[in-house]
Amino acid sequence: MASLSLKHIYKVYPNGVKAVSDFCMEIADKEFIVFVGPSGCGKSTMLRMIAGLEDISAGELSIGDTVVNDVEPKDRDVAMVFQNYALYPHMSVYENIAFGLRVRKMSNAEIHERVLQASEILGIKDYLDRKPKEMSGGQRQRVSLGRAIVRDPKVMLLDEPLSNLDAKLRTQMRAEILKLHAKLNTTFIYVTHDQVEAMTMGTRIVVMKNGFVQQIDTPKNLYLYPGNKFVAGFIGTPQMSFFEGTMTKNGDKVDIAFKYSEAKISVPYEQLIKVRPKYLDGKTEVYIGIRSEDITLDPDAVAASPYKIKVVISHIEELGDESLIYGDINMQGDGYVESSTRVIIKAGFQHEYLAGQVYEAAINIDRMHFFDKETEETIVPRLPEVNDVDCEVKNGKMHFLGTSLPLPPALVSCPEGKGNMLLPSNALRFDGELKAKVVSCEQILGKYLVSLELGGRRLFAVTDEPKEVGAAKIGIDCKRITLSVGEAKFEPMEELVRFEGTFEKKKEKVDTEVRGKIKKKDAINFYLGIQGQHFPAPEFIAKKVFATLAPREVFSSPFYYDFTPYDVTIGKEGVPGTVESIADYGDEKFAKVRVGDKVVCIRTDSPVSGQVCLAPDFDKAGVVEAKRGIKLI
Amino acid sequence: MEANKTKKLRSKRRVERTSNAVGYVILTVISIIWIIPYFYLILQSFRGEPGAYTTYLIPKEFTVDNYVKLFTDKSLFNFPRWYANTFITALFVCVIQTVIVLATSFALSRMRFRGRKGLMNLLLVLGMFPGFMSMTAVYFVLKEIGLTQSLVGLILVYVASSAMGYYISKGFFDTIPKSLDEAAKIDGASQHTIFFKIILPLAKPIVVYTVLTAFLAPWGEYMFSSLLMFGDQTKFNVANGLRQMLQRENIAQYFTRFCAGAVLVSVPIAALFIWLQKYYVEGVTGGAVKG
Repeated sequence: MASLSLKHIYKVYPNGVKAVSDFCMEIADKEFIVFVGPSGCGKSTMLRMIAGLEDISAGELSIGDTVVNDVEPKDRDVAMVFQNYALYPHMSVYENIAFGLRVRKMSNAEIHERVLQASEILGIKDYLDRKPKEMSGGQRQRVSLGRAIVRDPKVMLLDEPLSNLDAKLRTQMRAEILKLHAKLNTTFIYVTHDQVEAMTMGTRIVVMKNGFVQQIDTPKNLYLYPGNKFVAGFIGTPQMSFFEGTMTKNGDKVDIAFKYSEAKISVPYEQLIKVRPKYLDGKTEVYIGIRSEDITLDPDAVAASPYKIKVVISHIEELGDESLIYGDINMQGDGYVESSTRVIIKAGFQHEYLAGQVYEAAINIDRMHFFDKETEETIVPRLPEVNDVDCEVKNGKMHFLGTSLPLPPALVSCPEGKGNMLLPSNALRFDGELKAKVVSCEQILGKYLVSLELGGRRLFAVTDEPKEVGAAKIGIDCKRITLSVGEAKFEPMEELVRFEGTFEKKKEKVDTEVRGKIKKKDAINFYLGIQGQHFPAPEFIAKKVFATLAPREVFSSPFYYDFTPYDVTIGKEGVPGTVESIADYGDEKFAKVRVGDKVVCIRTDSPVSGQVCLAPDFDKAGVVEAKRGIKLI
Repeated sequence: MEANKTKKLRSKRRVERTSNAVGYVILTVISIIWIIPYFYLILQSFRGEPGAYTTYLIPKEFTVDNYVKLFTDKSLFNFPRWYANTFITALFVCVIQTVIVLATSFALSRMRFRGRKGLMNLLLVLGMFPGFMSMTAVYFVLKEIGLTQSLVGLILVYVASSAMGYYISKGFFDTIPKSLDEAAKIDGASQHTIFFKIILPLAKPIVVYTVLTAFLAPWGEYMFSSLLMFGDQTKFNVANGLRQMLQRENIAQYFTRFCAGAVLVSVPIAALFIWLQKYYVEGVTGGAVKG
């Protein structure tokens, strides 16, 4: 029984192929986690890294409180069930189960007791004398499970354990594994390519593709709030129908136009308030996703719905209890092949539909999904990133949503006029003077999404702490907003302070005490080099760099050292730079300092100008191997 | 229709029977040709009449004297000594070579290290050069360190290139699923335990093959032994020793004894084969993985 912590884990093979990239996850004790994805997505590699069968190229893996990157598999206290069972063919079932205990030099009496107990749980007590080849696939997989549970491991790892079984046996074993999880009360990590297995078994699911984590969430949330088009298409049977289209904000309505079709619907803006504003310009193309149960041909539902599109039916698949109707929203389209106009609709048996006929279908707009056409990421995030607010600059003040704020000196050059303000959800603070109302507060992905009402408009704030429903006073962090008035546009302040640098070693004479006398002795010290300056490398950075990179790469690789504007101070020694300007946001001032060919923003209280030196606090540094983009810290 | 079908079936059977008969006749002829020299050797070893060659195959007088004299008449040729020399050499070579070959094969099959592929290719290419190419050099090296006319030197020569014979057993180890090693590793086994408790029991056929080849090679080897032991009859192996019986001056008197010696040489090998043959054919990986 243990929790697991996976921090920025990478698997890079010697030929440069990245099998797993930046895998981050916290797994709580007793969770049932499922890694799911198509072949080659890195899910098995990740599991094998947890087991210790593959080296971790970069990152940190902890089981319980122990970092186990360099711990042998046998010392990690994990057990693993393999897809091909991996039973020792020359040993009996009893010996197979007992092998791990014998290797650990347990007494024969205890081994006997444990083997009997495990075999009883799994119903293989009568087969203990048999050899694996004398057993069926299901029985062999039970033996494999027995071998895993008999050691009472902290973490159970299962690598596609049911793939080799037939459909009926798979369903049965699925239930048995769930029962086992409930009984053993231990952490399970399960790898599968079968989304049905993932949905039915996992308390949380990790969807992976090409080595990257696409989304980590509960089965229900993955289904309802897919983070990108891949997850939306991968989870759910039949697959979600995807269309191309555009969205145009038209007063308090948004017109959604489907490409390659006449179909068009108009929905209230309130429904799409979480959509990032740039997608509502009528030009930016998006993917529109609709699940088969969120669109209906039922005449009663269609009559009652204002959101209708025309569908020509190409063919119907009967499934017994329901049927899947394949159609096209393009009247000349072919619903047989997957296309940008093909639609799949679930239907009951109350009404009969005919292939070749055109019907009206009603869409459940609450359950529509929208994705960026380029990145395929959702444009309706569960934690909205930004609020789009109309505003007017007048007399040195920003007027918006029936209230106003004085412009901070950094924005005071903004011309007067009407414009708009992009207000990130993390730029709303609960310590200001603006009177608002908290409408709701829900916990999503470890953060709190607070719905606010200000001047009759809904605003979203994301906070680390829950907020009580009712009246609240809020403020705006002006360094994070984007203000556009006419041609003038004020971008938010860059909050990442990134220095390019190297990792170096120096042979130095160091005072060492030898038999009570101080003597100079040779020692090798490590330094971080930035712009010709050398900073002693903190031990945790040096350890991490050597742990994750091959020795010859350490001194030849370029690195990025990342900080926040608050972790770098302006002093007499450090990285040389030139102050270009001071951005004064009222309560905070930041110096814009040119370092090499880049400009970084540093928090400052005193007026500074000209040549300065920047002293980063390396204890708070983020370290990235620049060539391959591997995040080390 | 039915009659036509039966007719066709009958004609098919007739063709099958004829082709089988032809096959068996050819195989029988080949077997006879193959077995005649052995048959001749065994018969000659029991021949009572003196002389090297006879014009008839079956001896007129049968005797076991040839066998007895091999061990009792040590005046000119000390056969028991040669036999012991050969047995000791073969036994040591067998053990050392088996260990080296299996360990090398396991390492090359299971472990990944820098230069692994290069090493494998190098060993393969080196193995292609005939051993006698280096005979003179090896002789002088051994002479320098005083190991000529010594069984230790001979054993050293035989086992020195053992690792080059890794290919077949590595190929066999490669067929044993790696997931077994991984399962054992997670179960807590060390490489040592994996090798002895998992891989070796599963690789019995190849262990037997390695043991047999490691035993056979020095048992019948002639060239290196004659070069290294030249001038000291007491260190000869059987191949080298028996060759002495066929010298022009000895052949008339010792030919039948030579035949008896040759029969005795093949006894341990035959026994070894009979003992180990069941492992030779037994496939053991059934049930290891999906089946």
